Amino acid sequence: MSEQVVIVGFGPVAARLIDELLPAVRSGLAHLTVIGEESDAAYNRVLVADLGVGRTTAGALALSDAAALVADGVDVRLGVRVRRVDRARQRVVLTDGTTPHYDRLVFATGSRPVIPNLTGLNPDPAHPVLPAGVTALRDLHDAAVLREAVAGGKRVVVLGGGVLGLETALAAAEEGARVTVVHNGRHPLGRNIDRSGGGVLAASLRNCGVRVAGNARSTGVEHNAPDGGFSALLLEDGSAIDGDLLVLSCGVRPRTELAEGCGLSTATGILVDHKLRAHHEPHIFAIGDCAEVRCPDPACGECRTARGPSGLVGPGWRQAEWLAEYLTLLAEGTAICPGDSNDSAPGGGAVGAAASLPELPMEKPGVIVLKARGTNLAVAGDVSADPWDEEVLSAGAVNGRARLQVAQWADPEHGRYVKMTTRAGVLEGLVAVGMPRTAAELVQLFERGAELPADRSLLLRLDGPDQPASHGAADASRTVCRCAGVSGTAVAAAVTEGCATVPEVSAATRAGTGCGGCHEDIKGIIEAHFQGAVA
Amino acid sequence: MTKSADTHCPYCALQCAMTLKSPAALTPAVQPGSDPVPAPPAPPAAAAAAPAPAGPLLEVSGRDFPTNRGGLCRKGWTSASLLSHPGRVTEPMLKDADGVHRPVSWDEALRLITAAVKETRDRYGADAVGVFGGGGLTNEKAYQLGKFARLALGTSRIDYNGRFCMSSAAAAGMRAFGVDRGLPFPLEDLDGASTILMLGSNVAETMPPFVQHLQGARDAGGLIVVDPRRSATAAFTSDGGGLHLQPLPGTDLTLLLGLSHVVIHEGLADTGFISTRTSGFEALARSVNAFWPERVQSLTGVPADLIRETARRLADGATKGGAYILTGRGVEQHIDGTDTATAAINLSLLLGLPGSSRSGYGTLTGQGNGQGGREHGQKADQLPGYRKITDPAARAHMAKVWDVPESLIPGPGLPAVQLLKSLGQPDGVRCLFVHASNIAVASPDANAVIAGLRSLDFLVVCDFFVSETAAEADLILPVLQWAEEEGTLTNLEGRVLRRRRALQPPAGARSELWIMARLAELLEAPSTYSEDPETVFEELRLASAGGLADYSGIDYAILDRGEAAYWPFPAGGTGTPRLFLDAFAHADGKAVMTPVAPRRRRPPAATPDRDSSRDISARDIPGPGAKTMTLITGRLLEHYQSGAQTRRVSELFASQPEAKMQIHPAAAASMGVTDGAFVSVANERGEVLCRAELSTDIRPETVFLPFHFPELESANRLTEAATDPISGMPEFKFNKVWVRVATNAQQSSVLQTSEAS
Repeated sequence: MSEQVVIVGFGPVAARLIDELLPAVRSGLAHLTVIGEESDAAYNRVLVADLGVGRTTAGALALSDAAALVADGVDVRLGVRVRRVDRARQRVVLTDGTTPHYDRLVFATGSRPVIPNLTGLNPDPAHPVLPAGVTALRDLHDAAVLREAVAGGKRVVVLGGGVLGLETALAAAEEGARVTVVHNGRHPLGRNIDRSGGGVLAASLRNCGVRVAGNARSTGVEHNAPDGGFSALLLEDGSAIDGDLLVLSCGVRPRTELAEGCGLSTATGILVDHKLRAHHEPHIFAIGDCAEVRCPDPACGECRTARGPSGLVGPGWRQAEWLAEYLTLLAEGTAICPGDSNDSAPGGGAVGAAASLPELPMEKPGVIVLKARGTNLAVAGDVSADPWDEEVLSAGAVNGRARLQVAQWADPEHGRYVKMTTRAGVLEGLVAVGMPRTAAELVQLFERGAELPADRSLLLRLDGPDQPASHGAADASRTVCRCAGVSGTAVAAAVTEGCATVPEVSAATRAGTGCGGCHEDIKGIIEAHFQGAVA
Repeated sequence: MTKSADTHCPYCALQCAMTLKSPAALTPAVQPGSDPVPAPPAPPAAAAAAPAPAGPLLEVSGRDFPTNRGGLCRKGWTSASLLSHPGRVTEPMLKDADGVHRPVSWDEALRLITAAVKETRDRYGADAVGVFGGGGLTNEKAYQLGKFARLALGTSRIDYNGRFCMSSAAAAGMRAFGVDRGLPFPLEDLDGASTILMLGSNVAETMPPFVQHLQGARDAGGLIVVDPRRSATAAFTSDGGGLHLQPLPGTDLTLLLGLSHVVIHEGLADTGFISTRTSGFEALARSVNAFWPERVQSLTGVPADLIRETARRLADGATKGGAYILTGRGVEQHIDGTDTATAAINLSLLLGLPGSSRSGYGTLTGQGNGQGGREHGQKADQLPGYRKITDPAARAHMAKVWDVPESLIPGPGLPAVQLLKSLGQPDGVRCLFVHASNIAVASPDANAVIAGLRSLDFLVVCDFFVSETAAEADLILPVLQWAEEEGTLTNLEGRVLRRRRALQPPAGARSELWIMARLAELLEAPSTYSEDPETVFEELRLASAGGLADYSGIDYAILDRGEAAYWPFPAGGTGTPRLFLDAFAHADGKAVMTPVAPRRRRPPAATPDRDSSRDISARDIPGPGAKTMTLITGRLLEHYQSGAQTRRVSELFASQPEAKMQIHPAAAASMGVTDGAFVSVANERGEVLCRAELSTDIRPETVFLPFHFPELESANRLTEAATDPISGMPEFKFNKVWVRVATNAQQSSVLQTSEAS
């Protein structure tokens, strides 16, 4: 008897879970039902903005092939929604009237865009029907709307200075649209970046042709376009920003209403423990944007400092991989002892294997790497402290715990800025603007929790023209011919002995007899010798 | 007496053409080693102390040839000095009860082997006898070794050191193209390319004359080198030569997926080629979708813009002078090496490179006959002509050529790492033959391999020096060096070359063909075994006929005329300089794109969570704190493989006498390591003690060790014998180690050892 697994949602995270469960499906260990509300199988939402500016194609965005999944035995239901979950009977009630049974139910419902409270927009988050000329840029249809505006060189107003808004703005500007970013903080990426970094970022956005309207509180949307669509964004100070398309980029909110409806605990997202199980419900799991890892144990130290869902896809994919392994082990356990569908039973076999699977480690704070061509930016962790904030830096430095340290480099004229916030040499936060190599190094050092070199400036120089170290051509004793291992001194000696051509030097010293790459250098030594003789 | 012979260098797969001349003063050639040479009591020490030979017997000069164009590297120039080396073994040497090797006659040696084989077979079955071959053997020897193992010894247990080199790329090539020829195009074709992407290959040190073929791409600014180190090859990209991508070790696969992502999403793919000549595109496109450049940047440390730029230059190069993607051991010697090579091939297929007349994908074969050596039956799963041992048609064909019943041909054996793990184990190999391989230094987890060798009932090693492996042998059989024998090798392009004799071998040394023929006689083996290379080659032709690596149209006369014989070269046909112009080698003629993805790495074995006691003890060693770092390994220009030969060349040894651990100054400073200081590099498998060399050419979290040195400096004491599930390739290039300053006691022991030698 194979285990019935039902996945609600068919986005990128669900797609990864399905891929990882396929071996169990193929072997008959599990039977898998996937319910997707869109008519398309999973596609890469991260690239919807790219699609919107014409940098990729809808076909290239696909993450799953529904037909191939069906061929593998997966029950794929597209264009259908779950009306409610009947936990007592372990079944889901779908809009098409069917009621698939589940042994394990996985919520992968993702999130939906936040629709700001503006006059002229319907604020109902569950049924966002946006007026013409306004889009939240979430799905393939939204991308098509943006595509049209960009291709027509239209004026695009992006509301929101978060990472997705900036990426959209930059991409649209680079592809020919006239773009304004409207945000309400002092600088863009206000929630993630420090003030100095934000300032350099804003300048860098302007350099890329993006207008930035900061400290702007928007109040309403004007619909005076000929088709009755969007014509301007109205601000609190009475001014208006004219445009042809408004892209709402005000963050996302987990889709939890289905879970709430069946009595599961939710906070920002659906609350799950370290095994991604809904609280007090071993048959239901949640992963990705809709899940919030915070276990029921009030004493759990990890969960005390846990953040809500990150909205990034990387953690969701890691959850999907882990859960697939766990569900597979559970299914193996059920196959061995069918009476026991919990993994709580101690002891051997596959049941024990599921119980002893190490829990998924808590995610580090998310890393933001701006997907953009003209601007390079990476931000991660807490970067609020400045080098001289003595109180902030020494807060929490008790019981031998090292204090925070901040190293900073600012060159606003050239659009470059780096901040490294470390504790005991390990990054707790970073900002890098306009320094691609440095950004790449810092991000992977942050991800690995690795110690920085004591000389932090080493990391700044990665982008400098002095890398790699010069070869010191002036050093006569350096190796001229690597292949044959001949030094400049030996070549010069041969020239002094009378060798006047490269072949003669080669015959005498073997220099230049391998790859021949040093012929120019040998020639240089010969010329230098004879010039010296003439002089 | 031969005064001059046109042959090829004894070392790497570039097989540089050279001419050997006997200086008139030395004619007729003396018989080196005709006086018995006493076995050195401590072989590595003897190697280190080897005095310069009296003078080379032969003069080496470069010969014009399309691959090396007359160029040779230091290894080639000095290669002849080993022919007269005083450490040469010239008689069979038997290890006595006191552990000292003493000369015995050939009759006695062959009798002992025959008895050991028979006794092992009787007691444990035929699979208790094993054979370990090498990529340095000529085609003739490699072919006959496979036949000897399967028919004369009756064992399935044969594999070879190419498992440590080419197996991942070979498996990927077979999967994608249906055939594996390292470079499916002549090397010269690289000359006109606009873009060359080299991953994990440091040709400037490993095969310097190769570098000539990169000049065109460098001039076009299109040489792109992927290497965690700023290697000598990576340095060629400076000053406008191209780009250097420096990913974290172990992330090459992710980087390649990112490149494919850019190619697909930026519309750089060759859609016409993909639809007509490949299969699997849709699944591949879905699989790389999740690897957008910024995400890949976070995983690899390579900036997103460099990833985009690389993809664009490849696509651009393909429309101009041509674009090539070349992989080397750096990306292949991993537990996901097959998938990484597959990702490189997928990228090349997306761009339509293979199958074009001026672009392509290739893997750079390393060992001298690493190509031919992987085609004719030294591999555990393979029969001559690159046939599968499990294929009934292939078995029937070979049974006919060998004139034996098919049932006599054993089934597949064990790949190298598993074979070595089985040494001395119950149901494992108890009696082992080693040819052209120094497994005590070259194998992963070398300490375990040495323990395995010592647990054998009988170990026979064929070598011309007392290598570290030969030192463990019960019986050492002296064999011929390259300038003393005839034969053929297949270079990295799949071109078959003639090796010619320039010198009489020492009186007591024998060809391995002769040894196999005599032993087959004594073992009353079925079929025939010749000691004449040309006779064996004629049989190889028949054996390979109709196989993927078809040599049936090649003979010594063709090669001696200088014809460029690229396989497949069927009888009555011609050679094939460039493969895939019309079709790939799968039944439908299409190349197969196989989606691959990085597997989650198990927690690094060097920080064992289960065996935490060991962890703690290793961390508790006194001295400035040990740091966990990533170890990568590779080569130096001066040395070849385990160094068994090049460490005995005085000029090369003087230039690079010891292993040095390359480390970034910033990392070194944090541990108090100074340039030239002794360091301990250790993990739960072993420990290396050597000097540190500070260099900004390496990433700060990574250290590099060359693998040419034995004993305390043996890098492979630290590498893990975990293997790729498809190819059996071990994990050589991504190991966790603890690095710290060596203790005073350790330092003085190292110094005493080196002084004593």
